[in-house]
Amino acid sequence: MSTATQGTVNVQAEEAVEEVEGKQEGGRLARLWMQHYDLVILPVIILLLLLLLFLYISTRDLDTIEERVLAADNVAGLLRQHLWLAFLSTVLVLVIAVPLGIALSRRGARKAQGPVLAVGGFAQALPPFGVLLLMAFWLDFGVTTAVIGLTLAALLPVLRNTVIGLQQVDQSLIEAARGMGMSARQTLFRVEIPLAVPVIVAGLRVALVLNVGTATLASYIGAGGLGELVQQALRLNRINVLLVAGGIIAALALLIDWLAGVVERVVVSRSG
Amino acid sequence: MSETTDQPVVETPEGAGKSDMIVLEGVEKIYPGSDAPAVSQLDMAIPQGEIVMLIGPSGCGKTTTLKMINRLIEPTAGRILLDGKDVTHVNGDQLRREIGYVIQQGGLFPHFSIADNIGVVPKMLGWDKQRIRARADELLHLVGLEPSTFRDRYPRQLSGGQQQRVGVARALAADPPVMLMDEPFGAIDPITRDRLQDEFLDIQRTVGKTIAFVTHDLQEAVKLGDKIAVFATGKLEQYDDPDTILTRPANDFVSDFVGGGAAVRRLSLVELAHLELHPIETDEKAADSRNGVAVAEVDGSGKPVSWRHLPGGDAAAVPLVTVPLSGTVYDAVDVMLDGSASLVAVVDEEGRAQGVLHWNDLVGGLRTRKGHA
Repeated sequence: MSTATQGTVNVQAEEAVEEVEGKQEGGRLARLWMQHYDLVILPVIILLLLLLLFLYISTRDLDTIEERVLAADNVAGLLRQHLWLAFLSTVLVLVIAVPLGIALSRRGARKAQGPVLAVGGFAQALPPFGVLLLMAFWLDFGVTTAVIGLTLAALLPVLRNTVIGLQQVDQSLIEAARGMGMSARQTLFRVEIPLAVPVIVAGLRVALVLNVGTATLASYIGAGGLGELVQQALRLNRINVLLVAGGIIAALALLIDWLAGVVERVVVSRSG
Repeated sequence: MSETTDQPVVETPEGAGKSDMIVLEGVEKIYPGSDAPAVSQLDMAIPQGEIVMLIGPSGCGKTTTLKMINRLIEPTAGRILLDGKDVTHVNGDQLRREIGYVIQQGGLFPHFSIADNIGVVPKMLGWDKQRIRARADELLHLVGLEPSTFRDRYPRQLSGGQQQRVGVARALAADPPVMLMDEPFGAIDPITRDRLQDEFLDIQRTVGKTIAFVTHDLQEAVKLGDKIAVFATGKLEQYDDPDTILTRPANDFVSDFVGGGAAVRRLSLVELAHLELHPIETDEKAADSRNGVAVAEVDGSGKPVSWRHLPGGDAAAVPLVTVPLSGTVYDAVDVMLDGSASLVAVVDEEGRAQGVLHWNDLVGGLRTRKGHA
């Protein structure tokens, strides 16, 4: 949870810098609180749930198998693997979908928009579990395949949001930019992309949360992650382990979504 | 009322040594997939330092013409000369940095501060930060916005009128000799628009740019233009000073477009400062003479507040209304109608009475002062 609190402090500090000069420190903090107090609710709920889970488990008598599986370093290792999978695939989505979306929004390529978005929709509609398994047979079992599968499944939200984000930039602003002598490239980087960033970031948030959730399935093709914990619990028939695994996976998804939400808000407040 | 004066009152310093700043020669635009040209065989010259209003119904080619001047739209045929230099084939981006451009509602970038918005072109031209900042402050002053209050704000924190002022300031940033304005005041409420137009004319008196200005509002064209170009479906129908357009339309299209009310519109061309007004007395002793001169009661600062004596009228029954000397006959008529008064006192900047304009003068013929006709 310390990461979460750290996040809030950072956001507040950054947004404080963003505000117009000459306002009193106290008033500024009060206003930030008024605008963003809802951000505090979710971390509190997550914290409470994890606390309850911890209290419950600590009252149980754990056998040696349970103790071994639930040992801090085992759980932490799997958590690290899980985050790595989600992070890698989201970065890949960012690197592939954003430039592709930008390319598709250029005048010459607009005709390709429909087909490409349709393929993206198709990829998203496929059940990730099936895709991961099939890809494992086709490619290989392991992290690389898992990352490729996750990337494919999460491509569409970012691609679509990039295209839409650029589309909704006021045409008159683009005209103003060109009319003042900005080249097409300058217009793209100084006007279009900055104004599309909030929408693109919203897409990335969806992709990230999707990846954090789907990464649970990566353990079935030997890529590790928190899914491993679930599998161990099921294999060993240990209900306490299953409870902890489920709790951690749910808390992680909520937490990542919350963090992405905070980042999104900072970005939106920056881009006016 | 069609002949309020014998001669046009607008100053038309024709051929007064002014060279043409913008010249269009046989310019034509045919959009891909279209047979009819959007603009066909257009010849037009805009003299240095003048405002030319491009006007016409939707789809008449006025905006296309404007955008061909800075080559946002590439002409299909013809030549465009700026200050004698053929710019038809130069680098479009470079060209546009040397031409001011204002669009509806300013077109300010919402993610740039006001100062950064004004600094867009100077930055591209490689000015250093200090110079850009100083220039932004200078221009904010010019358009009537306090730099310390506005420079760090964002466009969304400004009203429509303020945004439009910044839009004009931004276009002036690199001090371009030519400005193109595409219905800049189109989406602004009438009262603010009127004020912005006045300020725009004030600024133009200082900066003396050559301006092509697209509008769909004839009132605006008459008020702002040194010349008006009336377009119809890609053709220039008439290109003349406002007075000629209103009184002597070249053909049926122009006369239809100008429509009725031309005589009333023309009133806004006649400046009160150029008229021979009836005398007005504010001296109390003058009240005794009663020699056919209107006498007004004044307050402590010399401003007329009511009529003491009106020749051939009941002074107590007529409210005293005033109009500034810098206004036009149109403003005077407006004030008279509004105040239900048959005459109006014309006052100078300090509010002191300079003369009287009677309702009857409007139909009886206005006399212009010597040296102004």
